[in-house]
Amino acid sequence: MFMQLLANGLVTGSVIALAAAGISIVYGILRLVNFAYGDYMTFGAFAGILFNVKLGLPIVLAAVLAMAATALLSVALELVLWRRLRAKSAGFMSLFLVSVGLALVLRHVIYLVAGPQPRTYAVDPYKVYVIGSARLSGAQGIAIVVSAVGIVLIGLLIAGTGVGRMMRALADDLPLAAVAGVRTGRVIVAAWIVSGLLAGLAGVLAGLVQTSFDPQLGFTLLLPIFAAVVLGGIGNVYGALAGGLALGLAMELSTWTELAGGVNPTYKPVVAFGALVLVLLLRPQGLFGRARVV
Amino acid sequence: MSTPILAVREVVRTFGGLRAVDGASFDVEQGSITALIGPNGAGKSTLFNVVSGFLSAEGGSVQFEGRRIDRAPPHRIARRGLVRTFQVPRALTRLSVLDNVLLAASGHPGERLSGLLLRPARARAYERNTRHRAHELLELVRLDKHAQDYAGVLSGGQRKLLDFARVLMTEPRLVLLDEPMAGVNPVLGRQLLEHVLQLRAEGGMTFLFVEHDLDVVMEASDRVIVMNEGRVIASGTPADVRSDERVVDAYLGAAPPT
Amino acid sequence: MSTIASFGFWSFVGIVAGIYTLFALGVQVQFGFAGLLNFGHVAFMGIGAYTMAILVVKEDMNMWAAAGCGVLLAMLGGVLLGLPTLRLRADYFAITTIAFSEILRYVATNEDRLTGGSQGTINLAGIGKTAQYDDQWRSFLGSVERDLHVGGDVAMLIVVWTVALLAVVAVWLMMKTPWGRVLKSIREDEDAAASLGKNVFAYKLQALVVGAALGAIAGLFYAWQFSFFSPDDFAPLLTFFAWMIVILGGLGKAWTVPVGAIVFGVIFAGTRFFDFPPFSLLDSTERAYLRLIVIGLVIIGLMLFRPQGIFGSRREMVLE
Repeated sequence: MFMQLLANGLVTGSVIALAAAGISIVYGILRLVNFAYGDYMTFGAFAGILFNVKLGLPIVLAAVLAMAATALLSVALELVLWRRLRAKSAGFMSLFLVSVGLALVLRHVIYLVAGPQPRTYAVDPYKVYVIGSARLSGAQGIAIVVSAVGIVLIGLLIAGTGVGRMMRALADDLPLAAVAGVRTGRVIVAAWIVSGLLAGLAGVLAGLVQTSFDPQLGFTLLLPIFAAVVLGGIGNVYGALAGGLALGLAMELSTWTELAGGVNPTYKPVVAFGALVLVLLLRPQGLFGRARVV
Repeated sequence: MSTPILAVREVVRTFGGLRAVDGASFDVEQGSITALIGPNGAGKSTLFNVVSGFLSAEGGSVQFEGRRIDRAPPHRIARRGLVRTFQVPRALTRLSVLDNVLLAASGHPGERLSGLLLRPARARAYERNTRHRAHELLELVRLDKHAQDYAGVLSGGQRKLLDFARVLMTEPRLVLLDEPMAGVNPVLGRQLLEHVLQLRAEGGMTFLFVEHDLDVVMEASDRVIVMNEGRVIASGTPADVRSDERVVDAYLGAAPPT
Repeated sequence: MSTIASFGFWSFVGIVAGIYTLFALGVQVQFGFAGLLNFGHVAFMGIGAYTMAILVVKEDMNMWAAAGCGVLLAMLGGVLLGLPTLRLRADYFAITTIAFSEILRYVATNEDRLTGGSQGTINLAGIGKTAQYDDQWRSFLGSVERDLHVGGDVAMLIVVWTVALLAVVAVWLMMKTPWGRVLKSIREDEDAAASLGKNVFAYKLQALVVGAALGAIAGLFYAWQFSFFSPDDFAPLLTFFAWMIVILGGLGKAWTVPVGAIVFGVIFAGTRFFDFPPFSLLDSTERAYLRLIVIGLVIIGLMLFRPQGIFGSRREMVLE
């Protein structure tokens, strides 16, 4: 059973990790906690349905298109909304509240357009991968492989590329970077693109893993994702990835019956929150965050 | 005999791998005006933060009036009689100037829910007295005309005076002034200095201030403590310190102070 | 086509606005006055409602005593929430408060025997029996109706708004005291407040607890108005509505909350009347979605064009 839970944990964890990375990238540069991110993911998941189910495209292609669509949404919102708010020197709280309003709008537009009925991707439901004593469905297998690739790519992007370096510079000190001649507007758009790609990917993967989903998909995952972001130290992309994996594993492994009977599976999100609160009590800046300076 | 009012012993504090304060030790005598100087990056602000409780000491100890305060939270240290101003004055901008000063009153029963509910008359009387004192202090720093204005409309120099009035309201025994002259015009600076001297003379208040303006330091302080690279490298009267080789080296080694 | 002038409908809107006034007043105390980013406020509403209902149905307690217990338990909940979390930085605190309210909602949904589970309070007395907790309330309301010679709706409206306005006055008085002054200073600059000797943590905890009490009272009225509720009634969405009301009215003043609540109620209910094309093409579920889209757009619009709310001053925003 342990191997199975481990495998499940990796699947859940990697989806959370990708989404958490997407939130962290934007937070690092803009100090914006994007409460609508869950609904960016839902958008991606439903775009995937459009391409995969309605248009009959193979799942991988549909996923790529869904990612692109979400990235487009992300950039559009930056240009139309976030940029204007920043121009008005909107504070942290204003931005958070706007993201709450945006979440409401996005989610219910999806409800309006796509309806509340559950959706499923067109993948072979009988395909099973067996690794040791763990059985992974076709969807789970795809999810693990794709997220692994995604996680590595993100790590490389941030650490290795020019764009990644510029993002880190902006995250460190935005006004300084601007004065130093970095084209901040463009880097910000790049960050939103990456964030959108990740949201789309995480959305499609979550939809695959959950077998069937409705427009609540992203929002229900949002809190464990935020927990991962905070756990890793907000703004820290590597921390978000690590935090996501850690929480996913914690959530699944907590149901292991060897651990004093195990936790009731319906309480898995509670485990995620509990883990978060515990870590914050011991280390208020998160696992990899920086301590406060007066 | 006289226990120093403040005794700092081997205080250590790091920031991201850098030892901002690296074993600093010094005493401040009760009733003195002591200056803390040193080139930029010497660790003075960090030390101030540690002494006033805003940062914890990672090593060493701080004693105020004979009792250790290095583990105490800032508000408790303030209540014991050690208060500080900030380099950039922290006026509460969306409250009135008067409210800013009223807030500094200590032991106000009206500030506690229990006081309000159980002894409302006492709370009201205390508030009346506090208002009276607040107005007096505002007159002292010539801000009483602005009493009802938002503190946010005050200029930088005026905010420094407000900071000062607030600190006095707490009836402190040791005042830490973080660069009191920075950004303040000479006339205002003079005023502040005179208040300090008067308070020391009348009430036996002790002052420890960080300052870059060496003229002020030489003129106003009884004793000077010099820090460099997180340690105290010299201390003594202004005259002693001025001619101390180590001090000259430290300043020449770093950017010259304004 | 429903008449826009239907009295029953608008008195219902009025009652809900009254409940939201109490609820949002809690947010105003916590955020508008003390600067706390509590996004789990709905938890206190739930604690108030559920405690009362459970004690009445399962322990056969007097409803008024049970209501008192509900408020006390919510206040205790505020202490338990605040003790470990108030020292965290603001954005982490916000996230843990949402986690708090969601954890409670999960527990309420899963612990069937305690709370009736996802079916709600109908289930409190066990399977097969329908539980009611509001008999005493009904008789109280009945006596109000008789004494004032009014109908059921109006009686509820009067009672809710009397309590709501009393709460507004109480909060207003509290904020004029030196205690209130300290809260405001903490909102402005915690470190400055600490440097003046104020125990910031203790005051924040008190603000949280006062807000919790208000939230619980709102929860009690919610329970009495609707006679039945389930865990999903206490979703984070309600907290966001409360925040919206506080921002709409303007931060930092007690009397702007009822105004914000009424405006919000009108906006929310008003979308029910989009009976003309193209909206008439939508069915009622779809119109429910539309309502939430409108709410979302109003929040965004507010923050873009009038972040100080109806009664806030631009000046104060600039000074921030």
